[in-house]
Amino acid sequence: MASDRYLRHAQIDWFSQPQLRASRVLVVGAGAIGNEVVKNLCLLGVGAVDVCDFDTVELHNLTRSVFLRESDIGGGKAPALVARAADLNPDVALGSIDGDFWECVTLGQLAQYTCAISAVDNFEARLRLNQMCLAAGVDLVNVAIDSRYAVIESFPFAAHWGCACYECHLPESVYARLAARYSCGGLRRRAQSTRQVPTTAITASVAGAVAVSVALRLGPAGQGGPGARRVLLDTIAGTSTVTDLQRNAECAGCERLTQRPQRLEPVDGESWPFAALQALLVQAPSQPPPVLQLSDALITEFECARCGPRPEAADYLDRRAAAYDDSITHCTSCAEPAIRVAVRQRFELPEFIARFHGKTVPAKFALTVIDGRTVCLDFEQESATCPVN
Amino acid sequence: MSSELSLIVRTADQTRRAELSLDGTSTGADILQAAVDNWALPADTDYTLVNATTGKALTPGESLAHAVRPGDVLEVQPVLVAG
Repeated sequence: MASDRYLRHAQIDWFSQPQLRASRVLVVGAGAIGNEVVKNLCLLGVGAVDVCDFDTVELHNLTRSVFLRESDIGGGKAPALVARAADLNPDVALGSIDGDFWECVTLGQLAQYTCAISAVDNFEARLRLNQMCLAAGVDLVNVAIDSRYAVIESFPFAAHWGCACYECHLPESVYARLAARYSCGGLRRRAQSTRQVPTTAITASVAGAVAVSVALRLGPAGQGGPGARRVLLDTIAGTSTVTDLQRNAECAGCERLTQRPQRLEPVDGESWPFAALQALLVQAPSQPPPVLQLSDALITEFECARCGPRPEAADYLDRRAAAYDDSITHCTSCAEPAIRVAVRQRFELPEFIARFHGKTVPAKFALTVIDGRTVCLDFEQESATCPVN
Repeated sequence: MSSELSLIVRTADQTRRAELSLDGTSTGADILQAAVDNWALPADTDYTLVNATTGKALTPGESLAHAVRPGDVLEVQPVLVAG
């Protein structure tokens, strides 16, 4: 009976059920698009789908999210979605990750997926998933909607390394919008409201359908093109535009990644892959010293302009800047917003080793170039991640 | 010496369209800014530029001389972010 489920698929000459069965997809975002994507992946009979979202269900989500119900309000989106999607097809191994993918999914875990589908609702998360997929060499499909359009962008990092990335065609205005959310010291501003973009079930369902088709490369072999592409669908006019996305030599996201990164992992109880890095440097001494670009900005200076060094600086130095907002710039002694905070993401290797040898690095990973080779230092321990339920 | 390019710029919904002659040193970013200003496109949305004739996107800093031929149609597309 189980094989009868896919009887109609078997009648399509280009359809490979075994290939779908072997696919493992990570869906980041369990909102309107995420629901539609998971629905299609389950109906098609993909082998495994994990859904990650930290958000909770609200009443207004129910106009666009096919798996969510009023009884789910207040609970996590990802577990609610996965619980109902399991009824669609028991063949699919479904998992939910009830947290932020940046905190919950390691590069090692991401590398196990066939594809990651970005169905999140903000640019920061889209940029971060793009960075992770670049570092792990995993295909990325970026999907977004408004009330009229759906856009589906495919970045085949696994099969076609050197293709454009999500950032290659992102306009300057996006970076300006993101920069406005941070103080000049690099800390997140308090009480920054995010723009709410209205969407409908129509754009979500169209986006979810095309995204899954693109992610699974459905269709006759050889069609679809090898590089990065964007499909823009106008759900009112019923038109679509397909655009080739060329790599941007000045891209902030992939300019330094001229080749697929070699990932170094910690061994034998190391907190970060120091031994592997040292071995690489012995093979290929690097002068000037390599510069590490960290995945996360760290607080490197914390001092009151009026009172001088502060004892609480130890609570902030060498921690992730994203964990704090600009409220920490109020000095606990003079009560003025006089704390000077410096935030950095780039370190020369000797300074980095001096700061972090034997310590836990508060970042996901770092990229560097040693003797012309792109290297990714993976700082995360698998055990530190959120469980897949 | 810079050369002028005659081209067509339109919005993705094709409700706005203009035939223009632009200096080849102009960039995609210049055209987007002019489109937002002249057509009063929503300022809280981000836009990207696509050469609809060749089917290729223009990178933000790319000059028209590199990416456009006379008569090409450039389309202003919204950069979507909601999920």
